[in-house]
Amino acid sequence: MYQDGSVTVRVILETKQRSKPFLPVEAESIIPRNFLKGTDLTVYEGNKERALSEMFWIFVEGTAVSPDKVEVVLKGDTARIKRVGEYMDTGSIRIMGDIGMHCGNFMSGGLIEIGGNADAWLGREMLDGSIICHGNAGHYCASGYRGEKHGMKGGRVEVMGNAGDFCAEYLTGGEVYIHGSCGDMGGVEMKGGMLVIGGDATRPCGNMKDGTCVILGRVQEMIPTFERIERRVLPEWKITADVYKGDVANRGKGTLMVNTSGLV
Amino acid sequence: MTELLVKNACVFDPLNGISMDVMDISIRDGRVVESVSATAEVIDAHGCLTLPGGIDSHSHVCGTKVNFGRYMSPEDMRAGRTARRGKMHVTSGYYVPTTFGNSYRYSTMGYTTVLEGAMAPLEARHTHEEFTATPHQDMMANTLFDGNWAIMEAVQKRDVKRAAAIVAWTLSAVKGYSIKLTNPGGTEAWGWGEDLTSIHEPVPNFNVTPAEIITTMIAANEFLHLPHSVHLHCNNLGKPGNYQTTLETFDLVPDRNNGRQTLYATHVQFHAYGGTTWRNISSKSEEIAHSVNAKPQIVMDMGQIMFGRTMTMTADGPMEFNLYCLHHNKWSNHDVELETGSGIIPVLYSKKSLVNCVMWAIGLELALLTKNPYQCLLATDNPNGAPFVKYPEIIGLLMSKRYRDEEFATLHNDTGQRTIISSIEREMDWNEIAIMTRAGQAKALGITPQGKGHLGVGAEADIAIYPIRCRNVDPSTEYRKVIEGFQKTMYTVKRGRIIARDGEVIVEGANSTFWVNPSVPEEISVATDPEFVRKFEEYYTVRMGNYPVQDVYLPRGKCIRTEVLP
Repeated sequence: MYQDGSVTVRVILETKQRSKPFLPVEAESIIPRNFLKGTDLTVYEGNKERALSEMFWIFVEGTAVSPDKVEVVLKGDTARIKRVGEYMDTGSIRIMGDIGMHCGNFMSGGLIEIGGNADAWLGREMLDGSIICHGNAGHYCASGYRGEKHGMKGGRVEVMGNAGDFCAEYLTGGEVYIHGSCGDMGGVEMKGGMLVIGGDATRPCGNMKDGTCVILGRVQEMIPTFERIERRVLPEWKITADVYKGDVANRGKGTLMVNTSGLV
Repeated sequence: MTELLVKNACVFDPLNGISMDVMDISIRDGRVVESVSATAEVIDAHGCLTLPGGIDSHSHVCGTKVNFGRYMSPEDMRAGRTARRGKMHVTSGYYVPTTFGNSYRYSTMGYTTVLEGAMAPLEARHTHEEFTATPHQDMMANTLFDGNWAIMEAVQKRDVKRAAAIVAWTLSAVKGYSIKLTNPGGTEAWGWGEDLTSIHEPVPNFNVTPAEIITTMIAANEFLHLPHSVHLHCNNLGKPGNYQTTLETFDLVPDRNNGRQTLYATHVQFHAYGGTTWRNISSKSEEIAHSVNAKPQIVMDMGQIMFGRTMTMTADGPMEFNLYCLHHNKWSNHDVELETGSGIIPVLYSKKSLVNCVMWAIGLELALLTKNPYQCLLATDNPNGAPFVKYPEIIGLLMSKRYRDEEFATLHNDTGQRTIISSIEREMDWNEIAIMTRAGQAKALGITPQGKGHLGVGAEADIAIYPIRCRNVDPSTEYRKVIEGFQKTMYTVKRGRIIARDGEVIVEGANSTFWVNPSVPEEISVATDPEFVRKFEEYYTVRMGNYPVQDVYLPRGKCIRTEVLP
């Protein structure tokens, strides 16, 4: 029960021992809305369809009348469970450990909280809602699909650790906040939205069209096709930053702000 | 011996003068015969529309260029996904689907024969491998000669026989079917960073003009007696005002063959633009159709565009560069040594774009203004104008003035000022559609002797039975029924075997690849010509001995031999 007394349900899914633990599990059915009518769902382990109860110990606490009051908790060895929260629109998912690829694809509402690390493609093409990852995120965090021209369009992704390469690629709207460092090509092809990198970045924002990127740490291999406009104090981030416009190679109008002491 | 009897078929077979006759078709061992025994398998067509198997005379479905289109658009593979089912493999993709996707979709639309629009000779192996994996259609490959150095040297010396000998050697080496010229000379010029703007402008370093290449290749084609004519993608594709170039090109063409056309001009919609810039582009379909109506030696295809996303792919490298400058989207540009080049970019044809609306109108105008349906065939230059799955909609547009008007009302407001589509009353009938989608194509490609495009005794038993009761359907008002009917056959029969039923492919395919082996007199053959061999070894990155495609690449190849006249 929430403090306001509303009725909630908490579904706890704890992984069972698997004979082939390396096989990825495709679990796009794990979204809060689906648990409103019970736990009679299926997932794929490799190419075999499995009942949810074959894969997890399922504990249900409480009852709920609307999907936004559903909380799903994943425990155990969840690092190879993919597509959790795909097309999720409300409610919340809490993952105690690591999570597999494509967590929160196309998410349009609700909250996903990841206690451990997230694999690649976290929050791909996300529309709204929020994702908090307390560990590190893999490559293509908050990005678009390969070949597609629009990435994440709204919502918020916050990663407490580091992110891999191509973080926020084709970012079109929403906010991405990486507290640690990013790999190569963070914010490449950005078209809108806001990307904040608390740590370091390499070759950020190539071919940026629009949007804002703030880098509080150091930048390796700054792309030469950015035009420096001014030096400005950013009280919100407690830094002095060099402000760049670009990517001028393709008439981009994005804003890239780099900590003055961060240029290498 | 396998026998099949198709009963109660409402047949249109233009090449045999059959029009809406309800009859039975007897098939034995893949051929149409007079009658079959009582033990034959029977399918009842219930009086539904029955046509010879569809033929696409210009489609890009196999080869390096198509595959690079797949490669550079992984996002397309999110569309059109189907799981493995029965005999059907997994498929995916919409405008550049997997080879099996292409094959199944063609089959369920009743298409049984496809000409690949452009194969670079050097990259022929890839094309033949994909032919094998497009198992339900008989395939043929247009072979590119537009920027072939040896050919241009022969053209420069005005030596038709030498050009013919080079064509003969190349076709038999790469197992090609016909001569394709894509922006002749222009793609070679693009190799030097230039383009040609007129058919009388010389190609850099070779001092020959596109006009000379075209006329020489037509002469060489007829000298070799190839089954198909020269297959030409005119110069200046997609440039406002290019209709002048197209008309000039058509005026070059002599009438050299009694059996078929002397020039096949492909996707003419892209070559019928008036105006001087994209802002004042207009339709010049009347001028083009007028020229074609007066010249029985020319056959064209529509190159219709349909609104939506697709991928443009052509050997016309400079044109794709111009498109890239418009769209700033992803772009591929490719050079094929001393032969040709290519370019690929994705496009979105939108009703909000006046240019796209004018293009849409031009394709339909060309078809409707050409008096003889044998001279304007139905094709979209798949996937350049639209994926071939849009053919049923195009048939609907051609058969129904009302459907055209309804579509026209949704277009950009200024379309009416630039085009004449809304003033054309013509509505095509079933027979004309049968010509534009099979009989005309078979005749133009020269495959009627192979038994294609008709259902007379001795013909290959390629048959499409559509769930349309054509006697009770009025296409001009019930165009929805027509479109739905053409999307999914009741039965598609290929060489006497039922391959698809109600939109489901039910057997493994066993297609053939037709290729041409022209024989030329020993004294002009280039295979042992020291000059040809020396240049080949000097300029190509492959040895001449490694160049020919081995037979293993054509498990079901069918060779057509031709002889020059004494």
